Parts: sequence; structure tokens; C-alpha cells
Amino acid sequence: MRNDWLWLVRKNLTLILRDRKSGLLHLILPIAGVLLSLLLYGNTNSGTLHIGIANNDGDVSIAADAADYLSRLEKVEVTMLDEAKLKEKIASREIDSGVVFPAGFSEKLKHGEAPAADIVSIRGAQVTAYVGAMLNEYLGNTAAIAQTSASNPELFDRLYEDFAHSGYQVSSKTLRDSSGKKDVTYQAIGFLILFMLTSSYSLTEFMSKERENRTFLRMMSSPVSSRIYVLANVTVNAIVLAVQIVLTLIFMEVVLGIDAGVPFGELTAILFLFALAAIGLSLLIVSFSSSNAASAALSNLVITPTCLLSGCFFPTDIMPDAVRRISSFLPQRWLLDSLDKLQGGERLSDLPLNLAILVAFAAAFALIAAYRLSRKDNTGQFV
Amino acid sequence: MNVLDIRNVTKTFGDFAAVDNMSLSVREGEIFGFLGANGAGKSTTIHMVSSLLKATKGDIEILGKNIAKFPRFAKANIGIVPQDLAIYEQLTAYENVRFFAGLYGLRGSLLQERTEEALEFVGLGDKAKSFPKSFSGGMKRRLNIACAIAHRPKLIIMDEPTVGIDPHSRNYILQSVRKLNEMGCTIIYTSHYMEEVEEICTRIAIVDHGKIIAEGTKEQLKAIVTDTKEIWIGVRSEEGVGIEALRSIPGIVSARIDDGMIKLQSKAEINNLNEIIQQLIRSRADIRSVEEQAPNLESVFLTLTGRNLRD
Repeated sequence: MRNDWLWLVRKNLTLILRDRKSGLLHLILPIAGVLLSLLLYGNTNSGTLHIGIANNDGDVSIAADAADYLSRLEKVEVTMLDEAKLKEKIASREIDSGVVFPAGFSEKLKHGEAPAADIVSIRGAQVTAYVGAMLNEYLGNTAAIAQTSASNPELFDRLYEDFAHSGYQVSSKTLRDSSGKKDVTYQAIGFLILFMLTSSYSLTEFMSKERENRTFLRMMSSPVSSRIYVLANVTVNAIVLAVQIVLTLIFMEVVLGIDAGVPFGELTAILFLFALAAIGLSLLIVSFSSSNAASAALSNLVITPTCLLSGCFFPTDIMPDAVRRISSFLPQRWLLDSLDKLQGGERLSDLPLNLAILVAFAAAFALIAAYRLSRKDNTGQFV
Repeated sequence: MNVLDIRNVTKTFGDFAAVDNMSLSVREGEIFGFLGANGAGKSTTIHMVSSLLKATKGDIEILGKNIAKFPRFAKANIGIVPQDLAIYEQLTAYENVRFFAGLYGLRGSLLQERTEEALEFVGLGDKAKSFPKSFSGGMKRRLNIACAIAHRPKLIIMDEPTVGIDPHSRNYILQSVRKLNEMGCTIIYTSHYMEEVEEICTRIAIVDHGKIIAEGTKEQLKAIVTDTKEIWIGVRSEEGVGIEALRSIPGIVSARIDDGMIKLQSKAEINNLNEIIQQLIRSRADIRSVEEQAPNLESVFLTLTGRNLRD
């Protein structure tokens, strides 16, 4: 059994190594994806943070004062916009982050409640966190005044007037801002996900091709079992994806000097876990297809749209809630979420749910595919 | 000893029975011809024998062992030469044979020896390092055979091994079949070419609608056709021959024209040659020759199934 498996793995690797197109698909394109990410996001870290503010609470309000406060911060440029325009500019990356003050914001704050202002960004968690921290600084003080004035509007107005017009000093210290590189990493991983899925499908499709060129029938008429045959294909798939991951990350970190903000080992491990889900998904696609052409069409229907929905090409923050909910059912989303959390300083051991979900996706896809493949009683099929 | 025993085997796909309660035995050392038109159940039977399909009912034994209980044993003793080429274009001839032989557990020097032997056998010894894309159709067919015989199977199943190749390669393959048989291999041979089957097969089975409708040596099969005769009339031009008019002559069972030769099957007891000739003269056919043929496999097949093998 083991010998049969190794024999098939060896043959598949030989065929892949002899195919120039597969080298391009599996190794060159992911690297091109990293270069493209660098081109798109490599120069975005100019040092000035562009914030758009949509103030639905009126021009004379605490919200307006908070916007004014932000505009006076160093290295921050504020643009006042309406909510629709704000979302549009975030999507087109003309601004780095957006703050939306809802109507009644100031009144709630005055009465000691904690109203929420929406902070939206597509530049990653760090930008959101920075804007949030700055805003909390100002609004936190205002909230403290509200609590001190104990629902006495006159006292609140007097204290707030003093606070708002007192000179305050913000001392700035230059820190290395890695958000730009992390954006590049996020986008590069987004592209890598697409190429991993494409590679995995292409390698699994190999089984469909062998079915069509009849070599599969010759193999199945030998003592080799169909299970060993599929296992060998999965093994080769895993080997190629592992090489693809490691080479892409090495190119990103060593050649381009992009610090992903996540230890190399942890990033490789989480990507490999996703690779297993990708292999499961490609097996599922092939198992549901009756021919090579059908599986190619199905893969087109599945791979690119799910990558779009899960945020491989742009963050899910700007997507409607319904779409975001759908993306929770996609393994890509959980990989990107893990990456986001790892970049935010968490360790792989802090993400058991994400890891479990990726493993569950891989297992579920593989089990359904195994069931489908085992039910086919036709010489054109696998078992 | 029987190399293959098929006992009451049925294979259904939904409501359709591709093979219907078939029983068949192939003895050691035979070249067994398996004849049937497209869709007759030939390929389904071959796929069941080679364990690619499971029988819905019945038993199949290879060398006395049930293939459902001993699939590895059965598979190890069979070599399949599929109708379609089943080789890798990206591997050399040597690598192709080596890979497929390796699936049968051969390794090391034995694998190398058997691979070289198989390539020599099919006349591709000097092309071992070449890729199949540089081969002619006939050479690819020979490589297809080499991939099936390197592990020295007891039973070789050849499914239309001479389709679409030049006469030289065809002769080479037929010689190879005989040589393999002399070396001790039992062969099941399917072909659309009746003359090939007649030339090399020691026993023949005719399958139709999933059933064996006749089985025996070619002489035994020809003896079945005692009530019909075959009349062949050579004409210079096929135009205006009037095949329909010939079919309407009393006693004529079938009439067709094939490469300048009118082939008529007629009831043996009716003497209708005069009417046939007169009809041809009326239609101004330029007659070159008239001969009565002894029954052949084609006429046997036509008599038994009511259609030509190539239908």
C-alpha cells in the first residue's frame, strides 16, 4: 500500500516538474501577487492619516468639537463628508479611516450615556485603533465631565466650555509605523489564497484529466486502490501548496523585506491549515463534476466569488452586513481573520476557534468529497 | 484450466441491463475473440473482468479465484490494452512502461529488466528515451501494449488494439498477439475487423444485447449459417446499382455495397442468381465478377444479430 502510494506520488511530482505551465501557476503567480500588492499598497504609508468624518449630529455639537480636535492632531488630515461619500472614499482608498457620529450623539453623552461612533477603516486594525484611541481621549474627558455634572446641564455646559477651550498639548513621538507593510501582507495573503485555491484545484483536476485520457482506468485495473490513488493526489497537492506558501513568504520577507508582523512559523502553519481546506474544496468540486469541463466551470463559479466575498481583494469592513455574515461560512474569511488577529499581537495558541473552524472546513469538504466519489459506479468515475 | 469464468453475471445501470445473465469461460492458452456491435455489452463485461465495475449479480473468477474476494490477485494477473491510448505524453516510452509495471509491485533491477523486455517486444527498444508525442499512431498503440504486458500477466485483454493504424503496425500487433500467446498468455481480443478475429482467434463469442448468442471455434460458428448463402458481385461503378431493387428480389436477406463490391445475403434454398443479374443489367451496372462466398464470421454475425458489426 505504502509503496503504491509513493509510486503514484513520485509519478505525479515528475509530471508537475515537467510541466512549465504548472511552475508558472504554482510558484510564479503567487510571487507576482506579492509584487502587485507591494505596487498597490507599498507607497501608502506617507505618514499623514486621512480621516473622513460624517457628522449627523449637527455643526454645533460635541461631535463637531471632537472632529475639530482630531483635525488639530499632528499628521492627521480631516475631511468632513456625508455618510455615503465617506463609504465611497474609504472603498476607493482616498481616505484611511472614517468616523460616523450618529444623530443624538452629543445629547446621549451629556446625559452620561456611552454613545457609539462608528469607526471604519480598510487599512487594518491599527489605523482603526489609532483613531479610536484619539477619539476616546477627547470623548472620555467629555464623558467624565458629564458624570461630574450629574445631569446638571448648566454645570456641564460650563465645565465643557472650559475644557473645550483650554489649550491642550499633545506631545508626539515618532514610532515605526508598520501598518503599511501589514496592509501589503494582508493583500499579498489575499492573492496567495486565490492562487492556493487555483493551484489546489488545478492539481486535483489532474484526476479528471487522467480519467479522460484513460490512464486512470489503466491504474484502476492494476492492484492500486482508488483510495490510494486519491491519497497520492492529496499528498502531492499538499506538497506543492506547502512549497508555494514557504516560497511566497520567503520572497515577501527576505527579498522584498516586508515584515508581515506575524512570526514566519505561525503564518506558515495557519496558511498550511488553510491549504488543507483548499484541497478539500477542490476535491469537492471535482467530486460534484461529471467531466473536466464541468469541474472547470464549477471552480470558476466557486473560487473567485468566494475570495471576493471573504475579503481577499478588499476588506469586509466596507461590505454590507449580510455579505459579511455570508463570508463567515467561507474558510478564506477565517484565515484572514486569523491573520488580522495575529498581526494584532495575538499568538496562534490564542486562536483555537479559528484553527478549529479551518480544520472543520477541511474535514467537512474531504468527507463529502469522499462520500461522493465512493458512490460513483461508473468506469468514467473514480470508484 | 479456465483462466476466466463468468457465471450468470448481470450488470444494470438503473433499469437498463448492459450485461444480462452472461456466462462464459476462457481456457488457458486461448486467443478468445469477443465480438459485438457498439452497446452490445462487450466493454461493460471487460470492465467487470478488470474490476473497474462491480457486477450487479453473478460471479467472475480469474484463475479460479473470485475477483470480488481476491481483487488484488485478479488484477495482478490481468493486463489491459484499452481501446483508447492510456499513456502519458510527458513521460518517455521507458518511463511509461516502468510506471505502469511498477503499479504491480515490480521494483529495482527486475522492473528495469521487464520494462526493457516489454519495449523490445513491441519493437520500441530503440525509442525508449523518446516521448510519445514524437511517435506515429501505430507506435503509440505498441507502447499502449507494452504498458499492459511488462508485469507478465496470465490474461491479456485487448480492446480494439488495431483501431486507426497503418497496415505495418497492424501486422506487427497481430504478430505480437500470436507471440504472446505462444509465450503462454491467454488473450481476450475484441475487434471490429472480422478478418483479424478470424485470423488469430481460436475461439469466439458473439455478444448482443448483453447476452452471449453464440460461442465456439470459427468453424463451429460458420456451421450455424446453413440456411443462407453470400453472393458477391464486383461492379466498376457504384452509381445506379439500385440496392433497393436488389433487396426486393425474393430470397434476399440483406444487400449492401462496399468498395465496388455488392454483398448479398440470400436464402440458400432459393436460386435467384438469374434475377439478380437481370436486375443489375436493367440498372446498367458494369459487372466485373460474380462469386458465391463460403460463410464467414461477418455473415454469421449478420445472421445472428441482424446487423453489421460496425453498425
